[in-house]
Amino acid sequence: MAARRSRLELVFDILLSIQNKGGKIKPTHLMYKSNLSHKLLNSYLEELIEKGLVSVEEEYVKKRDGPLKTVIITEKGLGFLAEFRRMREFTDAFGL
Amino acid sequence: MLQLHFTPEWFNGWDLVFDTIGLVIALLIAGFSWRIYRMQKENRYAYFALAFVCLAMGFGFKLLTNGIYYFEPVRDVAAGVLKPVAGPRLAFANLFYRAGFFLEMAPWLGGLLLLFFISQKPRERLHKYYELSQIGLFVYLVLLISIVSNFTFFVFYLTSMVLLSLIVLNYYKNYLNNGNKNTLQIMWAFLLMLLGNVFFVFVFLWSGLYFFGEVLLLAGFLVLLLTYTKVVAKWRGA
Repeated sequence: MAARRSRLELVFDILLSIQNKGGKIKPTHLMYKSNLSHKLLNSYLEELIEKGLVSVEEEYVKKRDGPLKTVIITEKGLGFLAEFRRMREFTDAFGL
Repeated sequence: MLQLHFTPEWFNGWDLVFDTIGLVIALLIAGFSWRIYRMQKENRYAYFALAFVCLAMGFGFKLLTNGIYYFEPVRDVAAGVLKPVAGPRLAFANLFYRAGFFLEMAPWLGGLLLLFFISQKPRERLHKYYELSQIGLFVYLVLLISIVSNFTFFVFYLTSMVLLSLIVLNYYKNYLNNGNKNTLQIMWAFLLMLLGNVFFVFVFLWSGLYFFGEVLLLAGFLVLLLTYTKVVAKWRGA
């Protein structure tokens, strides 16, 4: 059984899913890609928006009740991904 | 310049350059580990940072005492400052060197012991009380060895050698588990330091061995720097 992901690992997985989709992703896709429940993803997204790691773009489309949302990774979010990868590499190399 | 215990005279001063490089590398690694600790709040990173700070302290005290010993003007100033405390009849040089050596040994051995613990245990290690009892035990052992080593210098190098052997073994096991080439490189770094310590142990036979020991120790730290740079630079701008 895989070990439980830490909070930072979850944030990393969310941001990585967005980056892998070219920097933009729909919330439903993000939910599947990052393997999180709708409720949990929303709470994480709120935090990530607050910290400036992602932003949400809303587009109004005809024949649709609400706006079409897209989650976009910011420069700061890309910076976090790079930093986390460095940390992971350091941890693996030094056997921590 | 002054002739130290087993140091070849022509090498006096150069070893300070070598040790300064080691000190900077140790602080660099400690700094990065501390940065990870601040972000992830996991003890292992703080302990790893502490281990390298201890190694840097060891280098720092060695630089301080040897530096004062090597350069006469500095030595005279230090003697002038300590004379009222030490008294006119006290063997200042001997006392100073022993104190300096003790201050070098205790953090160095402490750092190595901490590295051994960190590299040895599985993921969820160093829990609160278990941690405390182990830390207490190893502080006692390190102090004991440092005091004994002041009378027989090679005990320090021998202990350092044993700890480094265990660290090398742990990194080899880690490499077998994760197959990570950087882990193998770190094992090589500690292996070079271990070989350096082997030379230090036998330095009483021929003082030239001190030079080879210092070179190997420096090479070990440079390999650590190489791995650190590779790891940290890899995802820069990714």
